[in-house]
Amino acid sequence: MMKQIALYGKGGIGKSTTSANLSAALSLQGCDVLQIGCDPKRDSTRMLMHGNFIPTVMDLVRERGDAQLKKEDVVHTGFHGIRCVEAGGPEPGVGCAGRGIIATFQLLEKFGALSGDVIVYDVLGDVVCGGFAMPMREGYAQEIYLVTSGELMSLYAANNICKAIKRLSSRVKSTCRLAGVICNAKDMPREEELVAEFARRVNSTLVQYIPRDRIVQLAELNKQTVIEFAPDSPQAGKYRALAAAVVKNNSLTIPAPLEIDALESLALEFM
Amino acid sequence: MPSNPLPLNSCRSGGCTLTGALSVTTSVRDSVSVIHGPAGCAHHNFSLLHATGLDNDHVAALNLISSGMQDMEVIFGGEDALGAAIRSAIRQDVSVVYVLSTCIVETIGDDVAAVCGRDWGVPVVRVPTAGFLGGSFQTGVSNALTAIAGTMPGRVLPKDPHIVNIIGEKNLEYEVEENYREVARLLALLGLTINVRFVHCTGINELAGLGEASLNILRDDEMQPVGDLLYRKYRIPSIPSFPVGLSGSLDFLKVTGDLAGIDPAPAISDEKDRQDSLLDGFSGTAGSMLRFSLTAPDLPANRAISEVIARLDLKVGKDGARVPMPPSPPVGTEGVRRMLHRWRRALNAGM
Repeated sequence: MMKQIALYGKGGIGKSTTSANLSAALSLQGCDVLQIGCDPKRDSTRMLMHGNFIPTVMDLVRERGDAQLKKEDVVHTGFHGIRCVEAGGPEPGVGCAGRGIIATFQLLEKFGALSGDVIVYDVLGDVVCGGFAMPMREGYAQEIYLVTSGELMSLYAANNICKAIKRLSSRVKSTCRLAGVICNAKDMPREEELVAEFARRVNSTLVQYIPRDRIVQLAELNKQTVIEFAPDSPQAGKYRALAAAVVKNNSLTIPAPLEIDALESLALEFM
Repeated sequence: MPSNPLPLNSCRSGGCTLTGALSVTTSVRDSVSVIHGPAGCAHHNFSLLHATGLDNDHVAALNLISSGMQDMEVIFGGEDALGAAIRSAIRQDVSVVYVLSTCIVETIGDDVAAVCGRDWGVPVVRVPTAGFLGGSFQTGVSNALTAIAGTMPGRVLPKDPHIVNIIGEKNLEYEVEENYREVARLLALLGLTINVRFVHCTGINELAGLGEASLNILRDDEMQPVGDLLYRKYRIPSIPSFPVGLSGSLDFLKVTGDLAGIDPAPAISDEKDRQDSLLDGFSGTAGSMLRFSLTAPDLPANRAISEVIARLDLKVGKDGARVPMPPSPPVGTEGVRRMLHRWRRALNAGM
């Protein structure tokens, strides 16, 4: 059965790095993986493509028109056969990026491109409009992972996404659920404890703690994922552990988002 | 962010800013109106304006161009599409281009003002609309008149103290021409003539003379913001409304005469005679019982109708013959005459 997961979190928290390494680890574990970058920045799959920016679905539609496009124009094969798609979108400050995500999904559906053992959706920082909630809608990702550090604003964004999941999960046909929290650490004291407690309080679990490690930056400077660049490093082990946890995870919940006061109190407890 | 500005029953009087503004801009001859949005917005408005024109025995030659936004323009922004539509409009060799926007344009944040502000070689005037986001139909009418007035030359000396402008006619209302003719007739009793119809089938050159009048006659109190603007721009005072009903017509003559520095007494006397003659013609209906198909559209209409009922000694009751309520208040003595003709037909038919 195909597993569809989406990673959401605050901008700059490391969703794309985590997604790419997760996809790489899943692929090496034998899964047929499709990673879809849902962000106009279009850099989700870059490390899987060895530093290349692949043409985005939206750019191709704009240049050629959707009638001229074929599946192979938008799906590009990267590290270890991982299929990569970038939704793309408008330049900052114009148009509607959310609508771009919806249009991309419609096109991928038309091409029958949404296939494989695992689809990883890497989604822009926050659920800013209905377009960026598209991966959570029925027929797409059933499992939502929150990527967060222990910083308050990162937890705040994760909590907001819990609100979106809760809202969407109340729909009759919705299969979207919170699958867990991934701590992409900033090296704060007691950070793992804090994020684990946050996960518990929003009715979920911490599925993986990923420490801060300069090997991540080194791998990216070499235009590779950590899994490819330093497969024997402890950090690669963390990503493999994440992949294993994702594969076996069947603990899907409807989240219970916190009030802002409760969130701040939680952060204070771990200062 | 606007809350819902529409009345509960918006079937006839409601609508979005786009339709209201188009009811004005399409009435400027030598112009083209560019609707920045999906083709459907232009289609529906074209259909509505054309059908309403036909209903008023007026075949409207609507000059509309749509920027034809589709999914790609929504995603990547529609300013290029707007630019192309404006270029297409300019190729028609018109004197002015009006640009109106739709809901989706405002939602995605296209900078319509910046596109209009480029050097196009002819005036390209942005009319703030934004579909339902911009407000109601009436907001669109006011915004269009305000935008058009903004393109006119500044203060000029009145050319003639005896000419007046008509401001904000309801171009889509039933009897728009009849109402205009009645106001023109009443003004003529005072020796006043009409300068500019702002805006009803008006050429751009005529509009340039807007500041030459000594008085503005507003269609109704919803036009007050436009009247205020024209006062600030040209120092032209305004009469707040077309005359409604019998005594309303006499009041109109008095207020207008006073403001224009003309003794209104002879005109009022003539009009009283006309009204008496009118009521004599309908005296056969005295004592009849009526009931109305709708409630009066507003307080002035209610007053005007009550006055006619009292003067003709009519009665209102649930067993009366059903007579039509005018969709808008009867303008002038002749508006009352048309209303009474309809009532008498209904009475005679025993409806």
